Amino acid sequence: MNTLIQKLFAFLKRDFLEEASYKFSFVTSFVGIFLSSATFFFISKLISPNSDSVLDPYGGDYFSFVIIGIAFSGLLAMFQERLPAVIRQAQITGTLEAILVSRTSIPVILFGSSLYYFLFSVVSTVFHLVLAVIVFGMQVEQINWLGALATFFLTAVCFLSIGILSACFILVYKKGNPFSWIYGSVSGLLGGVFFPIKVLPGWIKWISYLLPITYSLEGLRKSIITSSSFSEILPSILALSVFAGIFFPLSLYTFRLALKKAKKDGTLTHY
Amino acid sequence: MKAIQIEKLKKVYPVVKGYRELLFHPFRRKGITALRGIDLEVEPSQCFCLMGPNGAGKTTLIKILSTLVLPDEGNVIINGHDLKINTDEVKKHIGFALSEERSFYWRLTGLQNLDFFAALNGIPLSHRREKIQEVLNLVGLENAAERRFNTYSTGMRQMMAIARALLTDPDILFVDEPTRSLDPVAAQNIRNFLRKDMVENHKKTVFWATHDLSEAQEFAHTIAVIAQGQIRDKGSVSDLTEQGKISLQKVYKKAVEES
Repeated sequence: MNTLIQKLFAFLKRDFLEEASYKFSFVTSFVGIFLSSATFFFISKLISPNSDSVLDPYGGDYFSFVIIGIAFSGLLAMFQERLPAVIRQAQITGTLEAILVSRTSIPVILFGSSLYYFLFSVVSTVFHLVLAVIVFGMQVEQINWLGALATFFLTAVCFLSIGILSACFILVYKKGNPFSWIYGSVSGLLGGVFFPIKVLPGWIKWISYLLPITYSLEGLRKSIITSSSFSEILPSILALSVFAGIFFPLSLYTFRLALKKAKKDGTLTHY
Repeated sequence: MKAIQIEKLKKVYPVVKGYRELLFHPFRRKGITALRGIDLEVEPSQCFCLMGPNGAGKTTLIKILSTLVLPDEGNVIINGHDLKINTDEVKKHIGFALSEERSFYWRLTGLQNLDFFAALNGIPLSHRREKIQEVLNLVGLENAAERRFNTYSTGMRQMMAIARALLTDPDILFVDEPTRSLDPVAAQNIRNFLRKDMVENHKKTVFWATHDLSEAQEFAHTIAVIAQGQIRDKGSVSDLTEQGKISLQKVYKKAVEES
């Protein structure tokens, strides 16, 4: 256990030292969060609350609705883009071989490689929310912490699995990652990031129900904005548990297969 | 017990198809044969040179032995452990110094790089600093440890790759063309280090891939010539050259031309 923690900490330290060495990029990522929050704050001024609005289940305020959407969809983007990017960079530089020849298991390599970006993403999400509350006056009543944390944990497992599946494509095909397209574009459009999925036509709505982000955002919005009880959030948590239960083992198994194929083809360091 | 035992090792790499072939013959399998049934034994505490021209199969063989490439057929036993069955156990006995010195994090210092790889190899935090200092002293980089890796010379990077391979104190060290693109002094330092420090003083087995004849002649206990994925000749320098009656260059040339 101690060795496992030390290995994970080593990944965390490596990525922190690397990222912190690019000081300008470190600072601009937080400036970007401020700018996007401000943009949606002013857009939300155009959307006046009215009765019987599709935003009613989320407290009726568009700004609160969209901030949760963009803050947590950043987590998906992080897993989906950073993990494959880390694997690809390791392929290009040759560090992947050096890591694989070490006595570290595949799950630890994958989890360790995404740990820093996950924590950075959590910090960014919290920064997003704090900024929204303090600077832009987002209304937060009583947060259902248990519901929020359970939803967040399952969301992270689902998104990590999607990131691992994306990394499999990079390992074998080097470029052209369909998961990035499916979950990046489709989740942004149909996952309820910018608008409630209720406004979508019925024939397309069913796609939304196949996306984990739909349930993540639903659960998080209800936990944070409307202080819903745990039983009200339970359907989202159950749906996310099913996704996590399928995706996580599947992604680890697929990564093993992808790694085996790359080792068989001798293409671990090809790019 | 032999350090390395290889039996009938074969490896065929699939060929990447072009669009036309992908369209008209999507299921046709084509491959490039890298190893054609290698049989080889390496004694412990030896400097073993695998010599061969470019594309002979040296790197493929070293990568299979280092668990980075899977063979198609054949058996490999390393220090009594089957490579296919007991990969994790094999990893405890081997160190691999990649010829690709880019396999480090360039914006981190030498010390930070070694600290990362030491952690991945399960070296506990309490011993890590001491172990890193030990390998840095061995390769002579103790004064450059706090410098960023991108400020190192090619020779220093190569030494750092060897230092990383030594972190786990392996019995067998695989080095793939370690003196490639080095100046003569740096190359000689690495040769001396591998033969004198590693083999003679620390009793390690060094499995050294090279295409430099003079390097092999001067430093190897045993030489194997590989060409077209097959071992063409093997023996000590004096056996191969018939106690110096013929030059190693002739032996090498004959072995390569026969393949």
